[in-house]
Amino acid sequence: MTLLQVRGVTKRFEGLVAVDSVDLDVGEGDILGVIGPNGAGKTTLFNCLSGLEVPTGGEIRFRGHALSGRPDRFTRAGVARTFQNIRLFPHMTVFENVLVGRHCRTHVGLASAIGRGPRFRREERESEARAEELLDFVGLQREGGVVARNLSYGDQRRLEIARALASEPGLLLLDEPRAGMNAQETRATADLVRRIRDRGVAVAVIEHDMRFIFGLCDRVAVLVQGRKLVEGTPTEVQADPRVIEAYLGTPTG
Amino acid sequence: MRQFVQQLVNGTVLGATYGLIALGYTMVYGIIQLINFAHGEIFMVGAFGGLTVYRYWLPESLAGNVWVALPAVLIVAIAVSVGTAVLMERLAYRPLRNAPRLAPLITAIGVSIFLQEAVRLFYPGGKRQQPFPQLISSGTFDVAGVTVAWVSVFVVVVAVALMVALQVFVKKTKTGKAMRATSQDPESAKLMGIDINRVIVVTFVLGAALAAVAGVMQGMRFAQIDFRIGFLSGLKAFTAAVLGGIGNITGAVLGGFLLGIVEALATQYVPQGSSWKDVWAFIVLIAVLVVRPGGLLGERVATRA
Repeated sequence: MTLLQVRGVTKRFEGLVAVDSVDLDVGEGDILGVIGPNGAGKTTLFNCLSGLEVPTGGEIRFRGHALSGRPDRFTRAGVARTFQNIRLFPHMTVFENVLVGRHCRTHVGLASAIGRGPRFRREERESEARAEELLDFVGLQREGGVVARNLSYGDQRRLEIARALASEPGLLLLDEPRAGMNAQETRATADLVRRIRDRGVAVAVIEHDMRFIFGLCDRVAVLVQGRKLVEGTPTEVQADPRVIEAYLGTPTG
Repeated sequence: MRQFVQQLVNGTVLGATYGLIALGYTMVYGIIQLINFAHGEIFMVGAFGGLTVYRYWLPESLAGNVWVALPAVLIVAIAVSVGTAVLMERLAYRPLRNAPRLAPLITAIGVSIFLQEAVRLFYPGGKRQQPFPQLISSGTFDVAGVTVAWVSVFVVVVAVALMVALQVFVKKTKTGKAMRATSQDPESAKLMGIDINRVIVVTFVLGAALAAVAGVMQGMRFAQIDFRIGFLSGLKAFTAAVLGGIGNITGAVLGGFLLGIVEALATQYVPQGSSWKDVWAFIVLIAVLVVRPGGLLGERVATRA
């Protein structure tokens, strides 16, 4: 079943078309790879899909409903993301970072929080239990009390994923999740992405590491200069002469 | 020695007020990187709100009853300050949210002048000093030769209680966590489903409420207020916030008390110190900016353009 349906999404900055009428589908349980040369518009596409940027044209439907407006609506609907350059709350603890990720799933208002009524305490316990479970899931169970900026680089990436999962998304957008990682960490990340899919969360991932993408994804979309050039299985994409041309250029002369 | 302790006590009382006002500067700066120069006037209109309820609304029979008069004065003062701050944010600052940083700064100065002039022109007798009720006993008591006024005890106890409450709020509650998240990375905060506009309004409301309490305290201690009290107190509280490290809540409290104590001691021990009493704060400000531009507890210097 289709989870995310992107139709003709376009993002124009003054004089530059960063994303040019892109169509894309992500189904439940999919791992979709998005690749393309630098400046192909991959991150801009993710920004549109997470509500950080308003597309100039086109439509984004999630679980059948059109998505638009402020980013918190996208989060509430079930789209979560991480950033290419990690964007944690650096002065908060690991545990607090995940709790803030649950912000859109807790409802108790200020009044009952001050009164600390039974609903508030139940919700708080639930949130804390979920946060602990997620830290466990990404392997940070022992780091809960550490201030986020003191984590190692790889752990910061994993925390960002845990924080994104805290909003209980149906689709997780990962922007270069293995950037700066060594081979071993990269394998662990691929494994983590598969386990996320096994939890019932579809994943769309931007990466430059071809081995990572082709080993992990069910389908791969190639963006070149804002346009979707090819989409298919890893085998199809790897064999497509247009992809090779886009990356290496055409031999001239 | 006795004199020294006496000045420490005086400085602590002075610093409690600075600290309360400084919190408003530091919180707003932490969230939207705006030096809200109109914050001193929020403090001033709070004092006038408190004066108004005492002078015009409280029946004579109740005005002498501290358990009625004091809460009434505080509540109305808070309501007036909070109302003014919310309107100011909505009408003056929000439309400039994405404007270059200089625009809201200049606007803040404009709002400051606007509020001063509004009180001067439209408050009955606003051009002159207004007597402010004492509300609680004007008496004093002695501890080991040091004289302490009951008002001073009230000021320090209430200020410290509010400072602790604010810390708990920011650390423990969902809204408090949302505030911290917004100050550390607004874009991620939005993605977490945090309504930034609401967080900003809450920030202004908290700052204004603390300033209103400080305004009433100031009125009670000096027994008079006028439309200009926000200027100097605001400037000194801003200095306290910078001294502690602007954006840092603990820093604002620390800066407030330090500044109050420096001012009290300098006034006592420097020859002719008392005629220079409004100068010390700014000497401290300049010294801090030269030696430690981030403030005592500040660390994030120039992390944002």
